[in-house]
Amino acid sequence: MNPKSWTEEIAEKLAEESGLPELNELQWETVRFLRTYYLANGKAPLNRDIRRETGMNLLEVERLFPGGIRHGARRLAGLPNPKSC
Amino acid sequence: MDTRSPTVYLDNAATTFPKPPEVLREMIDNYARLGVSPGRGSYDLATQCSHFVDGVREQVSSFFGSEDPRRVIFSYNSTDALNTVIMGLIEPGCHVVSTRLEHNSVLRPLHHARDLGLIEFDLVPFDRDGFIDPRNVASAITPRTRFVILNHVSNVLGTIQPIADVGRMCAEREIPLILDASQSAGIVPVDMQAMHVGGLAFTGHKSLLGPTGIGGLVLREGLDVKATRFGGTGYESWSPVQPEEYPYRLEAGTLNVIGVMGLSAGLGYIARRGPANIYDHEMTLARDLRDGLSSIEGVRLYCADKLEHHVAVLTCNVRDIDPEDCAAILDGDFNIATRSGLHCAPLVHEDIGTSPAGGVRFSLGPLNTAEDVATAVSAVRTIAAG
Repeated sequence: MNPKSWTEEIAEKLAEESGLPELNELQWETVRFLRTYYLANGKAPLNRDIRRETGMNLLEVERLFPGGIRHGARRLAGLPNPKSC
Repeated sequence: MDTRSPTVYLDNAATTFPKPPEVLREMIDNYARLGVSPGRGSYDLATQCSHFVDGVREQVSSFFGSEDPRRVIFSYNSTDALNTVIMGLIEPGCHVVSTRLEHNSVLRPLHHARDLGLIEFDLVPFDRDGFIDPRNVASAITPRTRFVILNHVSNVLGTIQPIADVGRMCAEREIPLILDASQSAGIVPVDMQAMHVGGLAFTGHKSLLGPTGIGGLVLREGLDVKATRFGGTGYESWSPVQPEEYPYRLEAGTLNVIGVMGLSAGLGYIARRGPANIYDHEMTLARDLRDGLSSIEGVRLYCADKLEHHVAVLTCNVRDIDPEDCAAILDGDFNIATRSGLHCAPLVHEDIGTSPAGGVRFSLGPLNTAEDVATAVSAVRTIAAG
């Protein structure tokens, strides 16, 4: 998905597909932080940025979304995952 | 500024970090003193630099049990050296034998050559413990086989392959054996003569403790590799063609002199500390790590039931957590650096059933401690309890 064509409706639809009838406030805050950071910086936040800015540790973020960080939070946010091997 | 505690660095199979401070000091001191272009000028400093580089060729040749230091060719890293030897040995219509343990540094050149219609190749499987069977290598050899190329140590599983047995079998058939020593050089002894290894590719920045950007190819007498890159050598400059003589045949362009100096300092550090002592230190930690991880419900380790013929590299998965997420949690919450994914060895992950996500790799180095291992085990226990 092109990150710029993302809408909150798309996130809701993706959430429903992954078994979340609706996103709670914490999930929305996380998705919005990931998007705001990406759109401002053109890259995903560092692990330490996620921890500092969401006020949650990474394990909590992992548990917050079905599919965890990579296939949950970032997917709902319509963002590419950081480059990895 | 990062105010967290120092990183517990467990990604030494990617590159050792930090480097021993004395290695860095020696490298910088030598570069400050002699860092000119070797072999290109007649002024004393250039001659001294050239002598220094030749001395490192001797160090490397002796370290790997080869005979002729002129046949030590410096490269950027193992991938560079492997490209040089693979592309320089193949002939149209030839066949190559390799394994499913290989890194992309071997797989991709082989695929490239096959896509060009130059070669065919066969890849020998590994068993459930992560080892190849030399008999399978023998069976894969055909009358057209030009060379056998093997990973000495799997960068995913940490298993040390039976190189001496393969070498003996290759020698009987007069097929050159090329060894990818990326993960073994500096930690697992290699004697090219005793093991019948014709060519060896190494990198300087892993267990040899040097900087990135330096590696090499060591060739035994009798194995000749065609030049596939061409340029200035500081030798026979009147000639428009690449010199036939080693190392110039395969070494075009100004060397990474500071890298050569770092490699030399790393070799010196290993000699002082003793390779066997470093190996024992790392394996003591690896056993503790294996025992700790295997005691955690939901952790699956791969090919680590026995740690004989193994280096301190362990790959695992934690419950159904994506390995990228697991490594992110280890980093973000526990300040532990590991390597997740396919580790540039996709066929290994295919065969152990972890493709396409891969696994989380813990790899120990000479400067890791028992506390590092305890921190890692505790972190994985917390993640698995999730």
